[in-house]
Amino acid sequence: MSAPLSAYEGIVGSAVIRQLRRMGEKLAGARIVHVISTREGGGVAEILEWMTPLMTELGLKASWEIIHGSGRFFEITKSIHNGLQGHHVAISGKDWKVYEDVNARNFGRLRPVREEADVVVVHDPQPACLIKLCERRKGKWIWRAHIDISRPFRPVWKVLRTFAEKYDASIFSMAEFAQPLPHPQFLVPPSIDPLSEKNRDLDPAELSGARAEFGLDPDRPLLVQISRFDRFKDPIGVIEAYRIVRKVTPVQLVLAGGGATDDPEGKAVLEDVLEAAQGDPDIHVLLLPSAAHKTINALQRLADIILQKSTREGFGLTVTEWMWKGKPVIGGDVGGIRLQVVNHHTGFLVNTPEGAAHRIRYLLHHRERIREMGGVAKEFVRNNFLLTRHLREYLTLFLAIRSGKEEPILQV
Amino acid sequence: MTPFEVKDCALLLRMSGLSPAGNLRELRERIAGCSENVLFHHYCETTLRTTFDNPDYRNDFAVWAKLYLGDRVLAERLGILDPYTFRSLEELRTATLEVIDERLGESLMVPWARPGDELFFLESTTVVFDAGIRITQPSRLGAFIRKMTDGSVYYHFLEARRRPPFGKDDFTLWLMENEDANRPYILALASVDFYFHSLPHLRRELASVLTEAKVAK
Repeated sequence: MSAPLSAYEGIVGSAVIRQLRRMGEKLAGARIVHVISTREGGGVAEILEWMTPLMTELGLKASWEIIHGSGRFFEITKSIHNGLQGHHVAISGKDWKVYEDVNARNFGRLRPVREEADVVVVHDPQPACLIKLCERRKGKWIWRAHIDISRPFRPVWKVLRTFAEKYDASIFSMAEFAQPLPHPQFLVPPSIDPLSEKNRDLDPAELSGARAEFGLDPDRPLLVQISRFDRFKDPIGVIEAYRIVRKVTPVQLVLAGGGATDDPEGKAVLEDVLEAAQGDPDIHVLLLPSAAHKTINALQRLADIILQKSTREGFGLTVTEWMWKGKPVIGGDVGGIRLQVVNHHTGFLVNTPEGAAHRIRYLLHHRERIREMGGVAKEFVRNNFLLTRHLREYLTLFLAIRSGKEEPILQV
Repeated sequence: MTPFEVKDCALLLRMSGLSPAGNLRELRERIAGCSENVLFHHYCETTLRTTFDNPDYRNDFAVWAKLYLGDRVLAERLGILDPYTFRSLEELRTATLEVIDERLGESLMVPWARPGDELFFLESTTVVFDAGIRITQPSRLGAFIRKMTDGSVYYHFLEARRRPPFGKDDFTLWLMENEDANRPYILALASVDFYFHSLPHLRRELASVLTEAKVAK
C-alpha cells in the first residue's frame, strides 16, 4: 500500500505537493490505463504500485492491467528483451506467433478497459503488440520502453518496430536509449519511492538483525551489489574486483538479487556466479524473494562500498536507491548509471573489474569521502529522482498529449 | 498595483528528430540548422531538466565538449556564453558557431566522441498553468519566492526573458508598475548574476536580495 501525497511533504516540500495537486485538477477524471507483464519483481511493477494510487488521489481514473502468459511466452519475451539490448538471440517465426497469440488472448480479456481509456501506457516489449489489436481505440496510446534499445539485435527490432511505430508517442528513460520512430519520443527518467519498504529509514535493531541473518562480520568492510542475476549486471566481474581488493584488504562481498516471473535466464546466471565464488565463505550469494524489500534496504544500509558494475543497463534504479541511502556508488560506465554517477561527486564510473577494485580501495582508505559523496548523492536524488518528479512528468505528458498541440509553450 | 499572478510550469522533454552529433563538425552542422527551441533547450532549460546540479558548465554543448570530445579549450569558450546577454537566439547561434569555427580552424584533426557518447539534440514543451497564488504587496515578493516551486522561479525569472519585452523578468515588470516606490526591489533583482545558479540556489538568492532590499527600505 503506497502512502498518500501528504506523506511526502516533509521530504520534498509543500510547494512540490501543491504543484502536483494543481496539475491533477487539470486532469480530473482522465482515464489512464497502464499495461505490464508481471506484478512480481522488476522496477516497472514497483513504479506502478505507487504511481497508480497517487494519480487516483489527484483525481485521475488510473489503473494497471497485467498480461498473463505461459512459461514459454516469458522465455520468448526474455529473448526479445535481451535482443533489444543487443544480445544475439534466436527467435523463430513460431515464437513470434506465440508472442502475438498470448497478447491476443489478453486483449480479448481487457478490451473494454483499453478501448475507453483516454491514455493507455504500454510498458516494455512484452505487451507491445496489443496496439495492433485495438482498432477502435479512441484515446492516445504510448509505448514506454524502460530498457536501452539503442543498439538492438536488428532482427528482433525489425519485428518489434512494426508494433512500436503504431503508437501515438513513446517514452524512453534517456535519449541515448531511443530508436528513431515516426512519432514524438518523450524522455522521462524513472524514480524511487522514499517511503517504500525498500527505501524507508531502518532502526539499528533492524540492521543488526539483517547482519546476523546473513552471517556478516561487523568488523570487516562490506561490498554489496544488488540486482537481478543477469549477465549484463556482470556479477562475475564484481567477484573479480573483490578478489583483487581481497589481496590487500580483508573484505566481504554480498551479491544479492531477486527473481522475476518473466526472467527464466536468471537461474543459469546464478549457477555461474556460484561456480565463480568457489565456496569462498566471504562471498555471500543471496537469491532473494521478490518481496524482500526490507532485506534489500538493510543490505544497502549495511554496505561500506556499493557496486553496480553493469555492462549494459536500463536506467539503473538500484543506483538511485543506493544514493538515497547516502552512499556513493561505483557503477559501470553505461546507460542510466552515467546520468546519476558523477565522478568524485556522487561516486565513480568504471569500465573493468580492475577499475572497480581501484575505486574500492580508494574509498576504503578515504572514509571521509564516503560521507561527503554520500551526502551529495542523497540531495541529488531528492531533487531529481524521487517519485514526485516522475509523477509530475507523467502529468505533464498527459496534459500535453491531450491538448493535441505541439507548441513550445503550452498554457493549460 | 495589479496582483501578481503566480504561474507554474513543468518541462516535457523530447527528442528533436535531429541525428546525434559524433564530432565537432557534426555539432556545428546541427547547431546551424536546428530550431530555436532546440538551441534554447540546450542553453537555458538545462536548469529545469533532471540533471546534476553542479556541472562544470551550464550549457550542454560545453559539457559535451569537455566530457566527450575531450576538448577543454572549446568547453571553456562555449561555457562562458551566457544566452541571456544576447538579444535573440539567432545572435546566440551565431556566437556559438563562431566559437566552434574558431576551434575547428585551430585543430589539426576534428575532435570526435566514442560511439555511445554522441550528443543528442533535445527540445521541450513547457506546460504552463496557474499556481493559484496572487501577490499583492511588493514587500512580500521575497517571502513568496522563497516558497515557490522551481517551475515558478524558472518561468517568471528565466523563461520570461524570452517573451516580450525581451530580456525582462516577470517580477521586475510587475514592480515597474510603480517604479519609483519599488526601485530598491528592482535594483536588487537586477544585481543577481543568475545564469550560473541552479534553481534552488537562484530561489534562495532572489529571496535573500529582496529581503535585504526590504530591510534597507
